[in-house]
Order: sequence, then structure tokens, then C-alpha cells
Amino acid sequence: MTIERIADILANTNPGFFILAAAMFMPFARGHVVRALLMVGGPVMGLVALINADGLGIDLSVATVFGIDLVLYRPDSLSFVFGLAFMIAAAICGVYSLHRRDPLQDTSAMVYAGAAVSAVFVGDLVSLFIAWELTAVASVFQVLARRSPESVRAAVRYLVFQVLSGMLLLAGICMFAAATGETRFAFIAPTLAGLPVGVMNIEAPGAVLILAGLGIKAAFPMVHSWLQDAYPRTTETGAVVLSAFTTKLAVYALARCFAGLDWLIWIGAVMTVFPVFFAVIENDLRKVLAYSLNNQVGFMVCAVGIGTQLAVNGAAAHAFAHIMYKALLFMSMGAVLYRTGTTRATDLGGLHRTMPWTTLFCLIGAASISAIPLFSGFVAKSMVMSASHADPGLFMVWIMLLFASAGVLEHSGIKIPFFAFFGHDSGRRPQEAPFNMLLAMGIAAGLCILVGLSPGWLYRFLPYEQAAREYLASELWTVSHVLQQVQLLAFAALAFVLLYRRRLYPPERPGVILDADWLWRRGCPRFLRHLSGPAGALIAPVRRQAGGALTGIGWVGRSVFSADGWVSRKFPLSATAISSLAILGLVLIAAVLA
Amino acid sequence: MSQKDEPAGNGEHPVSVLLYGWMRGAGFQKKLVLVLMAIGLAAVVLEVLLSSKPVRDPGSIPGFQAFFGFIAFGGAVLSGWPLGRFLRRREDYYERPDRNTPP
Repeated sequence: MTIERIADILANTNPGFFILAAAMFMPFARGHVVRALLMVGGPVMGLVALINADGLGIDLSVATVFGIDLVLYRPDSLSFVFGLAFMIAAAICGVYSLHRRDPLQDTSAMVYAGAAVSAVFVGDLVSLFIAWELTAVASVFQVLARRSPESVRAAVRYLVFQVLSGMLLLAGICMFAAATGETRFAFIAPTLAGLPVGVMNIEAPGAVLILAGLGIKAAFPMVHSWLQDAYPRTTETGAVVLSAFTTKLAVYALARCFAGLDWLIWIGAVMTVFPVFFAVIENDLRKVLAYSLNNQVGFMVCAVGIGTQLAVNGAAAHAFAHIMYKALLFMSMGAVLYRTGTTRATDLGGLHRTMPWTTLFCLIGAASISAIPLFSGFVAKSMVMSASHADPGLFMVWIMLLFASAGVLEHSGIKIPFFAFFGHDSGRRPQEAPFNMLLAMGIAAGLCILVGLSPGWLYRFLPYEQAAREYLASELWTVSHVLQQVQLLAFAALAFVLLYRRRLYPPERPGVILDADWLWRRGCPRFLRHLSGPAGALIAPVRRQAGGALTGIGWVGRSVFSADGWVSRKFPLSATAISSLAILGLVLIAAVLA
Repeated sequence: MSQKDEPAGNGEHPVSVLLYGWMRGAGFQKKLVLVLMAIGLAAVVLEVLLSSKPVRDPGSIPGFQAFFGFIAFGGAVLSGWPLGRFLRRREDYYERPDRNTPP
């Protein structure tokens, strides 16, 4: 194979495919070096491929399957920033996972990352659906990997939501494609400033179903609890991997399909606010981070709903920054879990004495998510806040986002590091995290600081580069903007110290916090059982009248489908072959006649 | 999970003393309150003096974010008292049979 041929493959292959290819070798990787090469090398190869792409905004790879054109690789400035973040996160997750060898986790993590990267670079709805489903299936194994009864039950509940999301998406795509005959993003609708963003009209056939499918994966209010249910039940590495991809892939898809849709403004605003209250009373710090994730995705969904160039830039920048600092926070809690066996605030405290580097990295993540100036959250979230404040009609939304910003400082900026590493001394003196974990946390922390100090680096990759440059030059570092943020953070932190000193801060207590999942884990069963009494009384006369017929149907059913029924009997091979041929023949005749 | 706990009081990492030792003084919390108040008030005063933006809504009033940050944070934290009483259940709540369900 010539160098030109290799360069051609690199330039025209979806970067996610390199990670998927590396994942295929993971089950057979024995030594640490080979594992490291595959887990880091796959994403790095993807990055090299992306940087060498033959161009943006053109179809670089198209395949025709069953008469459907699948655009396998069409990078543009929206997919670029998401793909870049996903591949960096995949490499960091690879480094973070090196201390333990679990082929199931390693392989599923790489398939998951590869599918997520593939999803953002495909150029049509059908290919998006295929990659979307692959992320769902692969991510379930991350939840299962802890191999405890609780994690298995959580994985089943997680799978139900993921499958429901996929089914809604598929149904919506089928309806949309049948009505319009088009599935390629670039041809569905007019574009926003030359970029296929917000391409779907919500009134188009199937669009509401597609939105619902994306909404489940973005953890919209009332369908959010799969996130808080599953993430804290994973291993120390599983939560890091899960935090990076699923919800941000949904944000990408929302931006691609529904940017500018008003509904999303309010859905996003509600998403930012309600997790704040749950996070205050939650005892499990990884669950607090899961609520925090919900709250941060709310900012992105709100920005997608606003849909201006500044807002879409804000959503993309926030997604990039959030992937880094949330992974960093989950990594620090993963290190605590690995060394102490728990992330319950009631069982922790004082860990900074023996885990100083983990504490430091956690503090950097906390500073970033709290949007302290010179950290990544500030330069990313500011665009979302400015986009909402720029529209006088969105003043209430801006107030909600401002409240959520104070809430973020409470649960992720202060609660996580304070109760794990400072607070009351639990007496635990665990060892510092393994070197590979510290290295991964160090890389993520470095990126949080780099983006905060030099935002131009990130802004260059945003969907609307010119708008980003103008924002950087005229608004980001203005005196009033920085001072307002300092005021918000300083007085919110002051409130914490005063409340804590006066013992008005609610004490951490063990327990389960009831959330929306109560509805289907307790509410629905109660409702159905209450209903079964009156319903049984109503059906009784009908059942008496139709008793004979029902008994007959029951007898036929048992004869056919029971363990020793007709379909369970053994038949001669020839009879099976003849019946199979007969069925095939009937199908062929039907196909010819049709 | 790796259980490598050591007895309390032993094995403090030298980097910990270097990075966080200054937080252990008796009056640290009081000093922190003073520092935060000084930073916050300085930011408000500077905004009043330096801001040239017109006031077009309550959010544009100098000092609004200081006031709002304090109230919002305090409100969110204090809401934890009633919410905790209302929403917190035993850890095995979902594992136990539901007593409120009729047989």
C-alpha cells in the first residue's frame, strides 16, 4: 500500500471507524503496552484523520445500502468541535482505565466512543440512527461492568430508556423519510449561515418523534432519571466514559436538527434549575455529579433552542468544556471510589491529607464548572448567558440560568470537593490514586486551564468562527462581564460559608432521594394494582359469557405454545426443510405479485 | 476496589501540607468570610465606577449579580431542609416490597 493510498484512506474515512477498528482488537490485547496502544492509539488515529480530512461541508464517503445513500463521512464545523472533544475524551478515558484490565469494559468503552464519534461525522439520519443505537448497546455494558445486582437492575432500566429513545428516533426517521424522501442533513432544509444546523421543522412528519428520541438521550425533565440511576452504579472508569458521550451526542443531534426551536429554550431552562435542588440533598457524590450533568446539559439545550450564531457557538463550546471538566470531576470521584470503596459524603472527608493531587485536580474541575474567570467554564458558558441576555424576551430564562449558575457553584464547585476532601475528617487515609489516573486527570485539568487562559484556541473550532472571534474581542473579557461573574461567585461562596458556620447547611444523610423514577418504580405498579380490582369486577360478566370461547382459545394456545406443545415437538429435518422452503416460496410469490 | 486505608493520623502526603496546610489555622473560616466579602464588595464598587452599559433591565443594575448570587445560593441550600424531609427514604426503599400496594 502506497503512502498516497494511506493518506487517501485517512482523509476520507470517518474518524470513529478507527476507534471501532481498535476496539475489535481489544478483547485479545494481553499486555499493558498493547492495551495502551489500542486505547490511546485509536482516538489519536481518529484525530489525525480528522485533521487531514479532505475538506469541510462535503460528502467524503458515501455508501449505498438497500438503495439508501448513507453519508458515512461529512465533517463540518459543528461536527468538528464535538468530534474533537469526543476523541480527546476517549484518549483520556483510555489512559484513566489502564490500571485495570477488564476486556468487557475496555472493548465496550471503545465501541461506545467510536460509535459516538462516528455519529457526529455522518451526514444523514439513517447513519445517525445506526451509530446512535451502537452507542446505546455499548454503553449498557459500562453499567453492567460492576457486576453487582444493583448495577444489573440499573442496566436493565437504562436499556429500556435507550431502546425507547432508539425506537422513537427510528419511527420518526421513517415517517420523515417517507413524507419528504430526504434523509441527508445538507438537503433537508435551508441552512443557518451556510451550515446545516436546525434543519428540521417541528411540524414535519415524524419530527416530534425524533425530538422525543433525542430528548430521552439528552435527559429532558421527567425522562432524566436513567442518568442518576445508572451513572453512580458503574465502576470508577464507567462513569467517566458515560459522562463524556451520550448526552453530548444528543446535544449535537438537537443542534443539527432543531436549533432555533423555542420549546428547547424552556426545556433547557427547566433542566438547569431542577437538578440544583436534588443535588443539595443527595448524599452520593457521583449522583450529585449526575444531577450536575443534567444541569449543564440544560445550558446547552437552552442555547440550541435560542439558535442564534452566538448561542449555537455557546452550546458547542460548553459541550467541549463540559466534557473535559465533568470527566475530570468524575475521574476524581472515581479515584476516591477506587481507593475507599465509596463516594457517599457521609463516609468521606479529609481525604486531601493523603490524596493531594486528586484533590487539586478536583478543585480545578470544580473551578471550571463554576465558571470562575480563567477557567474553561467561564469562556464557554458566558456565550450561552450572553445569548439569552441579548434577547429582552428571554429575561426570565436568563434569570433561571443565573440561578442555575449559583446552583452549579453549590453542588459541583463546593459540595463535591468539600465533602470528599475537606469537611469533617472521616479518619480515612487512603493511598493517592494510581499514576495512570493522575496522568489522565492532569491532562483534563491542563485542558480546563488552557481553554480558560487562551479561549481563542477553542473559539477557532466553533461552528461560526467569525461570531466567536467577535465575541472574544468585544465581550468576553470586558470589565463589567468579569466583575459580574466575580460578584455572583464571591457572594454565593460567602453564603455557603455563613450557612455552614451557622449550621444551616443541611447535613448529609444516607438515603434514597425520590425522583421521577418513583413514578414507574412505585407509582405505576400501585396505580395498576388499584385499577385491577374495579377492572376485574367490570370484566367478570363478560368473562362469564365468553367463558366457553376463552377456554377454547386457551386450550389451543396451550396445545401450540406450551413446553410440550406442538411448536416444541421435534420434526424430521426433511419436514423442517420443506416447510422452510414453502414459507420462502410464499414470500417470493408475494414479492413478485406485489 | 482497593482497600489500602492506613490508620488515622498517619501517612499524610507532604504535598498535602504544602498545598492545603494554610487552611488548617484556627481562624481560617473567619478570614475566608472577610476575603470573600472584600472580593465581592470590590467587584460591586468597581462595576459601579467602571461600567458604562445602560441599565435596560434589573439584571443590568450594578451589583445585581452579587445580590442575586447570595439569595439564590442561600435559597437553594435552605430548600434542602424541607425537601430532604419530603423526598428522602431508607437506602433499601426500592428493594423492599411496597407496603402501600394492595395485594
